[in-house]
Amino acid sequence: MIRRTVCIAAAMLAAAGASQVAAQEDSITVVLSEELDIVDPCEASRSNVGRVVLQNIAETMTELVPGSGLQPRLAESWEDKGNGTWRFNLRSGVSFHDGTALDAADVAHSLERIKSEQISCEIGAKFFGGIDLTTNVVDDTTIEITADPAQPILPLLMSTVTVVPSETAMDSFVETPVGTGPYTFDEYARGQHIKLSLNPDYWGEEPAVRNATYVFRSDSAVRAAMVAAGEADIAPNIALQDASDASMDFSYPNSESVYMRPDTTMAPLDDIRVRQALNYAVDREAFVGTILADGTLLSTALVPPSTIGYNHDLEPYPFDLEKARALLEEARADGVPVDTEITLIGRTNNWGNVLETMEALLAMWQDAGFNMSLQMVEVAEWLEHYSNPFPEDRRPEIVAAQHDNANGDPVFSVFFKYASEGLQSAVRDPELDAMILDATTATGDEREAKWAELFKYIHTDKVYDVQLFHMVGFSRVNPRLDFTPTIRTNSELQLSQVSFN
Amino acid sequence: MAATDTDAQPIADAPHPARRILAMLWRDKFAFAAALFLLLMVFCALFGPMLLEDAATRQNLRGRNAPPFDFSKPWLFWLGGDALGRPLLARIVVAAQNTLMVAAGAVASSLLIGGALGLIAGYTARLASQVIMRLADVIMSFPSLLLAVIVLYMLEPAVGNLIIVLAITRIPVYLRTSRAEVLEVRERMFVQAAQVMGASTRRIVFRHILPVIFPTLITIATLDFAFVMLAESSLSFLGIGIQPPEITWGLMVAQGRPYLTTAWWLSFWPGLAIILTTLSLNLLSNWMRTALDPVQRWRLELPRSRK
Amino acid sequence: MKGFLGKRAIASAISLVGLIILVFFLSRLTGDPTDLYLPLDASQEARENFRNIHGLNDPLMVQFGRFVGDLARLDFGMSIRRAEPALDAVLRGFAWTLQLAAITMVLVTLLAIVIGSLAAFRVGGLFDRLATFFSLIGASAPDFWIAIVAIVLFSVNLGWVPTSGTGTPWHWILPIGVLFIRPFGLILQVVRGSMISTLSSAYIKTARAKGVKNRPIIFVHALRNAMLPVITVIGDQAAGLLNGAVVVESIFGFPGVGKLMIDSILQRDFAVVLAAIMVTALAIFVMNLLIDVLYAVLDPRIRY
Repeated sequence: MIRRTVCIAAAMLAAAGASQVAAQEDSITVVLSEELDIVDPCEASRSNVGRVVLQNIAETMTELVPGSGLQPRLAESWEDKGNGTWRFNLRSGVSFHDGTALDAADVAHSLERIKSEQISCEIGAKFFGGIDLTTNVVDDTTIEITADPAQPILPLLMSTVTVVPSETAMDSFVETPVGTGPYTFDEYARGQHIKLSLNPDYWGEEPAVRNATYVFRSDSAVRAAMVAAGEADIAPNIALQDASDASMDFSYPNSESVYMRPDTTMAPLDDIRVRQALNYAVDREAFVGTILADGTLLSTALVPPSTIGYNHDLEPYPFDLEKARALLEEARADGVPVDTEITLIGRTNNWGNVLETMEALLAMWQDAGFNMSLQMVEVAEWLEHYSNPFPEDRRPEIVAAQHDNANGDPVFSVFFKYASEGLQSAVRDPELDAMILDATTATGDEREAKWAELFKYIHTDKVYDVQLFHMVGFSRVNPRLDFTPTIRTNSELQLSQVSFN
Repeated sequence: MAATDTDAQPIADAPHPARRILAMLWRDKFAFAAALFLLLMVFCALFGPMLLEDAATRQNLRGRNAPPFDFSKPWLFWLGGDALGRPLLARIVVAAQNTLMVAAGAVASSLLIGGALGLIAGYTARLASQVIMRLADVIMSFPSLLLAVIVLYMLEPAVGNLIIVLAITRIPVYLRTSRAEVLEVRERMFVQAAQVMGASTRRIVFRHILPVIFPTLITIATLDFAFVMLAESSLSFLGIGIQPPEITWGLMVAQGRPYLTTAWWLSFWPGLAIILTTLSLNLLSNWMRTALDPVQRWRLELPRSRK
Repeated sequence: MKGFLGKRAIASAISLVGLIILVFFLSRLTGDPTDLYLPLDASQEARENFRNIHGLNDPLMVQFGRFVGDLARLDFGMSIRRAEPALDAVLRGFAWTLQLAAITMVLVTLLAIVIGSLAAFRVGGLFDRLATFFSLIGASAPDFWIAIVAIVLFSVNLGWVPTSGTGTPWHWILPIGVLFIRPFGLILQVVRGSMISTLSSAYIKTARAKGVKNRPIIFVHALRNAMLPVITVIGDQAAGLLNGAVVVESIFGFPGVGKLMIDSILQRDFAVVLAAIMVTALAIFVMNLLIDVLYAVLDPRIRY
């Protein structure tokens, strides 16, 4: 054993010289927080997979670009044919890394694959649950997609679907992802690194970065240290306290929103005054620039302000301890059992400084007169509290959650979080259910107005939750690079957007 | 502790046993300092929460991560403030109670259970011994995290369960150590002689074998104190045992981890408390081993009292 | 000895089987993995489908039967999380862990025995005090402190070694250095204590009285007798490392089995949990067997 180790060590020593030189001008190293367990493009909606695969290896038909809305990518144009059918015209002259040309049949196959019952892909489960898709290949570059029920935002939904060749197996995840993107997937040494290199046959503009290596470190301080020591060029996600060097560290709105979800079906949380008291008792301003980063926004809804239908007229609840106490007293006088113990459920590692956030909230609510205790749990346990069905013998709970919607439309959030049938909903309100259905099927300005009205209903009229913050993320970028993180950096990291100074 | 009972008799006829022990302690200045420190910690554990609970939980978000050694502030802030602006000194004092309770509970139970099983395994019939040893192998190979998650799902989260999980995972080392020592000691001349002279098994175990193996077990136990204090925090993160705003040193150390490069004091002071406690326990146990061993006691006594 | 080994092998095999059965059923008590893998918004059909794919809908006994059947072909099943055979992932990680543990324990054993015995020769002397003091501080300090401080100091500020990762021998220096500290402190203390008792025991005194002035001979004799508790504790510490050095693995991005095991426990990836426990348990059982053999070699009076 020892002899073998010595041999390995000697071999590695010999290789060491070579690898030091390998850090070339046009190669970069990205340090991610999480290893990729699966590399299949149909899992690209998961942020750890998406940062490597999405738009680098596998591309989508459409692309949501911050600031300019939905843009063409593999599709050049699209039109609504009515009755839930959309026609997409594909870019011609595009080929996959395996040499085959992109045609409409590949798109049809990709759509079928994300819904495949044999592998259960994340994209299908996350964006196309309850939607039946049928495709009609008109010719090589034209495809009609019909959704049932009709989806007014189908082109937006297509920005999530990674397109893979029709040879891709339906019954197993691929180990070497193949797509049309500017980079090819060269090597995955599990536990160690992933290597990508430039796709010479890429249809678009040639990017500045030729080779990229991804490594994985779960500790934020180490990721920051690696960029500082020159071992890595981009750390897309570091903790607030590690972002201490203004010359390297960028902050960006990361599309995550933090909110507290009271169980509105349980006393005393079923009383609106109690929920108002929860809102007034939190000094939101005190978090910003202390536990949470400067630039964190106070929220009034669980989707970021760039989402359509975001109601900009709503104001966050001001900190008013007296009012909170008065509301509680008022509820008590009406016989609401306000002294019942409420459990606050937090999830370990949910966001940076989650424990500090939860402890501070607990103190604020106790200060207002709530009888509350905190329970921090790991993700599996947390899901049992967060997702329906809730246990019959539960006690009143408030679950802390962070929600990510970078997709521009509230439909990805609202049903699941507020509808009576929603999986993470603790609201049972038929009126709200009707409003959700109404807004989901509307289009254009009408859609926007209906969402805005719905957010006011949730936030001001019924106070169904405690909205807290739109969060800020931090990236550390080596000064030799020209790269600015955006709201999309949470789910993708397009190497083609990186250039050298 | 247990050894004190068995070995107290030889010195029982000395004029002032307590004085004699104090004198021996005074002779070893390190052990003396260690004893003082431990007394202080026990005092904190008994009275800390009563005296400083309020100060330790009062938050001040705008005064977070206050650096230490700012003597213009109230004395509670001399070691700095934590991520929620609470005084670290007060928190360390208050945390002593939970910390020492969990650590002492876990270490003492694993020491007692492991030590006893080891004695049995080393001294009795082959079948019983085989069963106990293989059981130890199984525990040794069972990941403590899995055990913790199972306990979390099957039982209510409570401090008692935390102690059980920690204790179970540490049983094998005491078990295997005491059994290894018994295997050797029982072959020694004096044990064999006692056996030939018809001494009962119980007498042989308690009079002859236990005193020989006890020092090694104590050495391991003192360092296990540090291990348990640190391991406990990872279980708290799973949701078992101590939950914020309740606090332990291990939890403070773990909570300070993200700040290590920017506000070192958050995890340094509670870590130092753990180190000093472990160090003190070890120094004191080394002293005790010398003081209790008739062959070595001379090191701590004045030359004239040596026979 | 042959009889001992045979009986021991049978007993170990039985307990290994018991361990696997125990883990199989106990781990299923910790919940259904479905919700951990699918997005929060996945529909009920998607959930059912996921359970069907991974055989989670079958009665527990059917799942167990399938597991035993596959196990006969040394197949632990597919990892849900990683979409590869569980055993592949575990063996890959274990190869790294084994090397790390072996190098660390060899260094620890050598240094702890030498320094511990030297300290025991002059109890209370300066060397003894210093050795005790520093080894105890190291052994009771949180390991991530040492790891992060070492990275900031040696990698970022001094640039002597890489911060983390694998690839060259330089990458191994910090992980081994950090892993070394705790077992070293503990074993040094056990060596010291055991040597103190042995050196003051009757037969060493007799040897000295009889005029054996040669220190090395006394040293070797005493050491031999002091070794039983020492190798036991070495075994315990090695078992800890074989189970995976989670902090070191996650800080240094070292692809060992420890982080894999933790992640799969938290992710309810039962196939990987079982494979990992099986592999590490096998290693620990073999190691304990070697230790028991070593007892008999060191002290011929010990019979089993």
